[in-house]
Amino acid sequence: MNKEIQVSISKKDDVSILNITGDVTSISGETIEEAYQKVSNAGAKKILIYFDQDGYINSGGIAILIGIASESRKNGQTIRMTGLSGHFQKIFNMVGLTKYTEIFPTEELALKDF
Amino acid sequence: MTSDNNIELHIPSIMGFEKIAMECSASVAKKMGFTEDRIEDLKTAVAEACLNAIEHGNKMDTNTKVGITLTVEESKLQVSVKDQGKGIDQIVTPRIEDKIEGKDRSRGWGIFLIKSLMNEVSFEPSPEGGNIIKMIIYLEK
Repeated sequence: MNKEIQVSISKKDDVSILNITGDVTSISGETIEEAYQKVSNAGAKKILIYFDQDGYINSGGIAILIGIASESRKNGQTIRMTGLSGHFQKIFNMVGLTKYTEIFPTEELALKDF
Repeated sequence: MTSDNNIELHIPSIMGFEKIAMECSASVAKKMGFTEDRIEDLKTAVAEACLNAIEHGNKMDTNTKVGITLTVEESKLQVSVKDQGKGIDQIVTPRIEDKIEGKDRSRGWGIFLIKSLMNEVSFEPSPEGGNIIKMIIYLEK
């Protein structure tokens, strides 16, 4: 029933990019966490999470992202996000995720001065 | 359909099926003339209410169902989500600081989102057992 998640990892200069396609939920969370752990273990300090504009994100998915934000603080990493619809930008602001990560309207802007 | 202004559906207590209720609510809201922004708010609230019912109310017991009733009125849409559980003991407002610092589990945002996005929210026991969350969203003209 959920749109199957795929997370691809790429790199632009010193920024590790997690490109998420599909729904972000508690079910798909393990895939995102694994991708995050992979770039962390490789020493990433700057991480850009690129969301699927048409993807569904629920509270279970938000919890996964909070867990990653928490880990990133311990690891001294900076996380930026892009690709989010206006609705999910509002939701992330409501729950307070924007205190710990920055949201950008485009990948280009997210990578600028990162 | 149960009457002219009521639409009922039942989904199994399986994660992912909340999207059926979400899309059905969105279709009704669109027909009523809600803005895209408010439809997105409604979709998130309905999905979260169904997830709570599936996960916490019905404990993901596949023998149980979650009942969703949409009641259309001239200026508002009411969505009731019914489970077969024991209800919510207490509603605690989550704090992201506690979750980031590991003082609280990272989950627990469902009710917070529902209350933030809908105009009115109430919780009540169902006469036949189980619990109902009623959410109202007003049509702004």
